[in-house]
Amino acid sequence: MGEYLLEVQDLKTYFKVKAGRVRAVNGVSFAVKPGEKVGVVGESGCGKSVTALSIMRLLPQPAGEYAGGSVLFDDQDLLDVSEKEMRKIRGAKIGMIFQDPMTCLNPTMPIGKQIGEALRIHLKLDKDEAQKRAISLLDQVGIPAATERINSYPHQFSGGMRQRVMIAIALACNPKLLIADEPTTALDVTVQAQILELINGVCSEFGTAVILITHDLGVVAGMTDRVIVMYAGKVMETATTDELFANPVHPYTLGLLASVPRLDEQRHSQLKTIEGSPPDLVKPPTGCPFMPRCAFARAICRTMPSLDPVAGTSSHLKACWVDVTDPKEQAYAERRRQARLERMQAAMKDVVLTSEEK
Amino acid sequence: MDISERLNLNSATEEEVEPYLEIVTELVEKRRSQGRIIFDRFVRNRTAIVGAAFIIFLFLFCFAGPLIWRIDPNLNNVLDVNSTLAPPTIAHPFGTDDVGRDTMARFMSGGRVSLLVGLTSMLMSLVFGISIGAIAGYYGGIIDNILMRFTDVILSVPLYLLLFVLSASFTDGTPKSVIILIALFGWTYAARLVRGEFLALKEREFILASRTIGAKDFRLMFRHILPNAAGPIIVNATLLIGINIILESVLSYFNFGIKPPDASWGNMISTGQVLFALDPWLILFPAAGIFLTVLCLNLVGDGLRDALDPYMTER
Amino acid sequence: MGRYILRRTLQAIPLLFLMTIAMFVLIHLLPGGPDQVLFNPHQTAAAKAQLRASLGLDDPAPVQYVKWVTSALTGNFGYSFNTNEPVTTVISRAFPNTLELFGAALLLALVIAILLGVISGVKQGTATDYGLTILAYAGIAMPVFLLGLLVDDIFGVALKWFPTSGTSSVAVTFTNPFSAFVDHLWYLVLPMTVLAIAFIAGWSRYLRSSMIETVKQDYMRTARAKGVGPVSLLFRHALRNALIPLITVVALDFGSVAGGAAITEGVFAWHGMGLLFLDSLGRRDYPVLIAMLMIGAVFVIVFNLLADILYGVMDPRIRYS
Repeated sequence: MGEYLLEVQDLKTYFKVKAGRVRAVNGVSFAVKPGEKVGVVGESGCGKSVTALSIMRLLPQPAGEYAGGSVLFDDQDLLDVSEKEMRKIRGAKIGMIFQDPMTCLNPTMPIGKQIGEALRIHLKLDKDEAQKRAISLLDQVGIPAATERINSYPHQFSGGMRQRVMIAIALACNPKLLIADEPTTALDVTVQAQILELINGVCSEFGTAVILITHDLGVVAGMTDRVIVMYAGKVMETATTDELFANPVHPYTLGLLASVPRLDEQRHSQLKTIEGSPPDLVKPPTGCPFMPRCAFARAICRTMPSLDPVAGTSSHLKACWVDVTDPKEQAYAERRRQARLERMQAAMKDVVLTSEEK
Repeated sequence: MDISERLNLNSATEEEVEPYLEIVTELVEKRRSQGRIIFDRFVRNRTAIVGAAFIIFLFLFCFAGPLIWRIDPNLNNVLDVNSTLAPPTIAHPFGTDDVGRDTMARFMSGGRVSLLVGLTSMLMSLVFGISIGAIAGYYGGIIDNILMRFTDVILSVPLYLLLFVLSASFTDGTPKSVIILIALFGWTYAARLVRGEFLALKEREFILASRTIGAKDFRLMFRHILPNAAGPIIVNATLLIGINIILESVLSYFNFGIKPPDASWGNMISTGQVLFALDPWLILFPAAGIFLTVLCLNLVGDGLRDALDPYMTER
Repeated sequence: MGRYILRRTLQAIPLLFLMTIAMFVLIHLLPGGPDQVLFNPHQTAAAKAQLRASLGLDDPAPVQYVKWVTSALTGNFGYSFNTNEPVTTVISRAFPNTLELFGAALLLALVIAILLGVISGVKQGTATDYGLTILAYAGIAMPVFLLGLLVDDIFGVALKWFPTSGTSSVAVTFTNPFSAFVDHLWYLVLPMTVLAIAFIAGWSRYLRSSMIETVKQDYMRTARAKGVGPVSLLFRHALRNALIPLITVVALDFGSVAGGAAITEGVFAWHGMGLLFLDSLGRRDYPVLIAMLMIGAVFVIVFNLLADILYGVMDPRIRYS
């Protein structure tokens, strides 16, 4: 076994639809060291969740298709092992937490049984042992009166409590890797921090590596060692968390960071957004997928840049031709932004006029 | 920003071509109307279209057919042995029955009755159902309670048994009486549906808004709320025609529905079954009539359901 | 759970009460009115007068209703015009056969519907699924009497595989009770199959879509992420949840099953309550008819109640709310 626990290389995951293939993940590479906490960020539909599901080989079949690349975990290519082998890995060596705890627990099974299920499958515990272990797990994830609540059903818990149960399920067999797919998105803001704290704490305690998938940069900033920024099924930029927040070098990362509302901003200033919407992944642009929305875009962007280290660093990688720190480039981008704003206002005027004519 | 300044900047651009910067496209895109979307979806459902086409064909066959096929469905021909219980021939494409009547002419006249029963009792049921559901849902409270308990009672008595008793006691064997009887018990589903929709919608903002500008109850009910329940009602109406045709045929089969000389597919089967060993064609055609009509109505109903489903994503 | 059952039971009581009122109204509406329904044409004038007094037919309607309901509650539905026996005697004679047909068909229908529903739900979009879909559409569009007629004519009349009508061989005395039982079962096959088929189509379609819906649920993915194997996934997670909505559908169909049983009995001359009903209808034997309507309605209400309770057992979200 090498330096890495998990090595994803040039992963390609497609979905077959009527119109063709959705290239949801289109050549993603990254690696996770044992015990490392990695954040994957990007807006909805950029392929973060599909990447996670691909690692677990949980894509809906037959629509999902693993079109290429490899996922090396414990010296095994997870895309190559049999379904039977894969079942021994899921839940035992890799645990997963999903977005919506309201729908992710089986409504007709007591939670104790749901936690015990993985224990009985992987650790071959009997009913009583599984139950005992489930109680101590519930206790660990901070559910009060675990012994009494073991026979409760999911609907008797609040959202935050259910997510705690999900964490208990995912960590039941003490996996080496935990994949948390937007674990706090569906929760109340007040609960979000507690859940993150819990994941962080428990994983540090057990030395579990974490892949934390989120669209919320704040979540990533709080608990990860490294961040991967994804867009349209590709990795745009990756760096240690501190480096990424201090020196973002990809236009998309800049946009993401700018669109986080800040308290120290003027109150009535317009919220910054990234204009436009992600590309159609059935027919993705041949070059950089962010080009149509990118103010820095040039003709050269019609060919996709490779993911290369930024000058002067070894762990900070970006997939972009442009040096966004260059003031000349910044002026160019600003002018293009203005021009777009005017074009859009003109287009809006037309729409308003035509609807009034009716 | 000043225009001259912009021109100035433009001229200063590097020799590289600027790629087109995307603007929000939805603003300019032309939209299809809701009805158009539903129609397009329905048309793309091939089985539903086949079903609809067959129903139209059957209607034309039964209602316009007699204009071409001028044989009297009740014309006996007992004396000629060759033309009783005859299998299909060119002279009698569906064969003849035990008294030499032409089965195709009888199929048409029976089909007219069966389809008419299905259609008119559906319409009447809908009128009852919509009115009762609307009143119950709109006024709520005690009125709602009474009407819905009434509906529950009707739903709990086995429908076939009740219809048998009532049909045997009250109808005179004419299509009209059977239509009314069936309509009297077919409204429960539509009523529940409309009531549910009314209960859900009457507190919604757009209804409160029209109330504040002084819209009358009746107008509110039928102009503002009812159209929202149109989809499920249309689907239910389609299925109801089929259910009614089956009800009629069951009643007629056991001789409690439409009685000769009026022909219906149900009583054609009833009279034909004793002769099954001699001439299976006699029940085959009316049976196929019932089966195919109901099958196609179900296909159309399912097609409509899919087309009207707002949660179905447009592909 | 106890409170849930109690609440459901209490909710069923007003329905039963309203149902008796509806029946009472029906008796008064029938041609000839209550006289026709309650008096045996073969009765002597003295007996009629006595009955008239005991039922209080000259009393105001509410008093009549109370007297009628109390007599019905004590199992007194009057006397059959046809045989002069108490209605309860006539009906209880037909009851075992109906129970047998109904129970056997219901069991068969449920087992096959669940099996087919699971198969086509799991194999959604395959040739098997399309085949089953076509069969189901055909089954739904086929009226019970027509199916019965065709099955009877094909397997009974034409192929002679099964007896065409009746409940047991006539004019044969079996010394061995077992062979009598086998003979009886032989007669049961066709009507049971017909009645079952009539409901398999709809129920299996329903379970199919319920399965497809369930398999898509997030908790199925959670289970797979735990490493749960396909068998446990299908039965412990998917089927268990997919069956819950089917309970309601089956319960709502009980009235139709009862009607379908009557029709099937009519087609196959199965000597049960359905055939008795059709015979009584032909003779306008109203005491029997009214009693059967009431029994049918009570049966539907009770079974709906049982289904509600079963629903609570299956779905903890209902049980604890």
